[in-house]
Amino acid sequence: MIHNILLVAMREFRQITGMRSFWLTLLILPIALAIGPIATKLMGSDKVQRVMLIDPEGREAIAIRARLDSDRQRRILTALSRYAQRYDLDRADPAALWAQHDRLYDDAEVTAFVKAGGMPVALATMKRATTPETPAFDPPEPDFTIVPTPPAIAKADPAALDRLLKPLIQPGEFGDKKAKPLDYVVYIPRGFGTSTTAARLWSSEQPAANFVQPLQSVLTLRVRAAYLQSTGLSPDQARAATTLVPAIAISTPAPGGGRERMLVRSIVPLLSAYILLMSLLLSGNWILQGLVEERSNKLIETVLACISPDELLYGKLAGTVAVGLTMVLVWALCAAGAAFVTQGAVGTFLRMALAPLASPWIILVMLYFFLAGYLMVSMILLAIGAMSDSMRDAQSYLTPVLLVIAMPFTIVAQGILSNTGATALKVLTWIPLYTPFTMLARLGGGVSVWEIVGSALTLALFIAIEFVLLARVFRASLLNAGQKPNLAALARLMRRDPA
Amino acid sequence: MDALVLDDVTKRFGERTAVDALSFTVKPGEIFGFLGGNGAGKTTSLRMVLDILRPTSGRIAVLGCPPGRENAADLGFMPEERGLYRGMSAIDTVIYFGRLKGMTTAAARAKGHDLLERFGLAGSAKMQIDKLSKGMAQKVQLAATLVNGPKLLLLDEPFSGLDPVNQGLLEDEILGAARGGATVIFSTHVMQHAERLCDRLLLLSQGRKVFEGTQPEARGRLPARLGIVSRDTPMRCPGVDRAEEVATDPDGWRTYDVTLGDGIDPADVLQCLTEQGITLRRFDQHRVSLHEVFLHLVGTNSADTQGQPS
Repeated sequence: MIHNILLVAMREFRQITGMRSFWLTLLILPIALAIGPIATKLMGSDKVQRVMLIDPEGREAIAIRARLDSDRQRRILTALSRYAQRYDLDRADPAALWAQHDRLYDDAEVTAFVKAGGMPVALATMKRATTPETPAFDPPEPDFTIVPTPPAIAKADPAALDRLLKPLIQPGEFGDKKAKPLDYVVYIPRGFGTSTTAARLWSSEQPAANFVQPLQSVLTLRVRAAYLQSTGLSPDQARAATTLVPAIAISTPAPGGGRERMLVRSIVPLLSAYILLMSLLLSGNWILQGLVEERSNKLIETVLACISPDELLYGKLAGTVAVGLTMVLVWALCAAGAAFVTQGAVGTFLRMALAPLASPWIILVMLYFFLAGYLMVSMILLAIGAMSDSMRDAQSYLTPVLLVIAMPFTIVAQGILSNTGATALKVLTWIPLYTPFTMLARLGGGVSVWEIVGSALTLALFIAIEFVLLARVFRASLLNAGQKPNLAALARLMRRDPA
Repeated sequence: MDALVLDDVTKRFGERTAVDALSFTVKPGEIFGFLGGNGAGKTTSLRMVLDILRPTSGRIAVLGCPPGRENAADLGFMPEERGLYRGMSAIDTVIYFGRLKGMTTAAARAKGHDLLERFGLAGSAKMQIDKLSKGMAQKVQLAATLVNGPKLLLLDEPFSGLDPVNQGLLEDEILGAARGGATVIFSTHVMQHAERLCDRLLLLSQGRKVFEGTQPEARGRLPARLGIVSRDTPMRCPGVDRAEEVATDPDGWRTYDVTLGDGIDPADVLQCLTEQGITLRRFDQHRVSLHEVFLHLVGTNSADTQGQPS
C-alpha cells in the first residue's frame, strides 16, 4: 500500500512542480515582500520638505530654525541610542546620553548632546567599541530644510505675499514648471505677540503635525512672553517663565520590547498562518486540476485497476502536502537569503522574530497545526475534485469553500496585531476549520498548554471524522461522471461506504 | 486453474440490476468475447473482475484468487474510455503504470521502450502525451496495458475510437498475447472483431447471459439458409421449413430463399434434391454472421442507456 501511495504522491508532486505556473506563483510572495518596502518607500513622503521663513524682525525665524534643528537632533540622539544598544556599543562611554536607553530625551538633554559635539563626536566615541561587522550608522533624514528668502519677498508688502508666493508654492501651475516647490512658507508680522496681527502659514498641501506643532510651540512662547511683559515682568523674567516645563521622565520599552516585542514575536507564527492560507489558496487549484484531469481524461478507471481508491486518495494527499511544504521551504530559503544579504537590521529583526521558535515544543506545535491544516483543507479539495467533471465545475464548489476558510483570517490577523478581539480569537481557536490558522497566529502571544492540547485533540478528531466521511464521497464520486450530487445526495454518500 | 470464473454474480445499483446471476468460466489461453449492446452489463462485469466495483452477490475468481489489487501484476486492463496524463512523456506514462503494477523502474523502462519501438513510437518516447496525435496516444495506452506482460488481459470495447491501422495493431497484439499464453477477454458490440478473434464468446442482454459457447455453436442457434436456383420447388425435401421464390427468369429457372429446420444439415437437403431429380443451377449455403445471431438472441431492443455503468 505504501509503495502505491508513494508512487501516486511522487507523480502528483512532479506534475505540480513541473508546471510553470507553480514556480511563477511560488515566487510571487517573496517578490511581493521584496517590492513592498521599496514601494512603500517610493510612495511614502520621506522627502525633505522645503520651508521659507519671512520674518522682517528676524527674531522668530531664528527661534523656529532652532526648534526644527533641536527636533532633528532629538531624532538623531534616539537613533544613536538604539544603534548603540543593538550593536552593544555602550561600553565605549557608559555615561553618554546615547548610552541611556528606552527613554524620551528632553530639550535640555538634546541641547547638551549638541553642545558635546552631536553626532560626529558620538560616532567617534562609539568607534572604540565597534567591530568590523558593525554596520555604519544610518542617520535619520532631516524632515525640513530652510531655504533662503529672496529679498523681493523679504521686503514685500504683506498684502502682496499671496500673489508673490503662488509661483513658489505651486510652480507647476503659476511659475517655472521645473522649479522645486516650497512646502511651507511662514510669515511673522512685525510686532508679533504684541499686536493682534496674525502670523501666516502657506502650505502646498494639508500641513503636517510635525511642522505645525513646533511652529505653534515657538510662536506660543513668543505670545506668552509678550503677555507676561505687559503684566510688568521684566523681559528676562518673562522669557524664564515661558521656558518652564514640568520634569517628566519618560520611559519606553527597549527595541523589541513591550508591545513591540509581542508584535515581533507574533510575526513568525502569524506569517506561518498566512503562509498556510496562501499555500492552500495557491495549491488548491493544482490539487483540483490533477484530479479533474484524471476524471475528464478518463484516467481514473485505468488507475483504479492498479490501485485502490484509498491509495489514490492518500497518495494525492501526500503529494499535495509535499507541494505545500516545498513552497514553505522555498519561502523560508528566500527569507534566510534576505537575512544573509542584508545582515544588519533584517537579521536582527529575524533573530527577534524567531525567538518564539527557540523551544522545540513550539516548533512541534507549529508543525502539527500547519500539517493538520494542510491535510484538513486538502481533503476537502480532493472531495471537490472527485465530484467535478471540469475545472469550471470545481471552481463553483471551490470559491465558496475557500471564502469560508479564508474570511476569518483578517479578523485573526487584525486581532493579533492590534491586541484586540481576544474572545473572538479564542472562539475561532475551537472551530476546527479555523483552528490551525488561529492557533498558528496566536502562538507568538503565548497560549496556555491546555488550550493548545485541547484544540489539537479536537482538530485531530475532526480530521479523523472528515477523512471517514469525505473518503466515502471521494470513493463514490470517482467513477460517477456527469452526476453532480446535491446536498442531500452528498449527505447520503457520507453515510454509507460504497461497495 | 481457470483464468476467470464468475459464479452467479449479481450487481445492483439501487433498484436497477446491472448484472443478473451471471456465471461463466474462461480457460487459460482463450480469447473470450464479451458481447452485448450498450447497457448490457459488460463494463460493470469487468469492473467487478478488477475490484473497482463489488458484486452484490456471487463469487468471482481471477487467476484462482478473489478480485483485488493483489492481482494487478498479472492483469492488463484497457477501459472503454481512455486517457493519459497530458503532461507526462510517453515512456514515463508506461513506466508509471508498470510501477503501479509492481514492476521495478528499470524493468518497466526496458519493456516500455520495447513496446514503443514495436508500435513505431521509439522516436516519440520522450514526447509529452499532449504533443502526440490521438493514434499515437492510443498506442501509448496499449503499451501501458501490456507493459507487465499480463497473464489476463481485460479489454473493454478496445476497438472503439481506434483508427483502422490501430485496430489492426490491436488485433495482432491480442492474437500475439494469446499465442504467448495470456488469456484475453474483451467486450465489444462490434461483431466483426469477435468473429475474427474469439475462441469462445458470451452474449449478455440486460445483465443476463443469453449465450456462451464457440462461434459454430452460436451460429447453430440460427436455422441454416440456402440460396437455390432450380425449376422445381425444394419444399418436397424433408427439413425444408420455407422456400420463398424471390425471382423467375424467362427460361423457367426460379430463385428460392430456403430456410431449413433446426438441426437440419444442408448436405442432407442437397442429397434429397439430387435423388428426386431436381436439376440445380445454384446451391449456396448462407453462412450465418454473429451479427445475425446477436440480433436473433438479443433482439433489436437491447440498449439500456440509463446512465449507470453498463
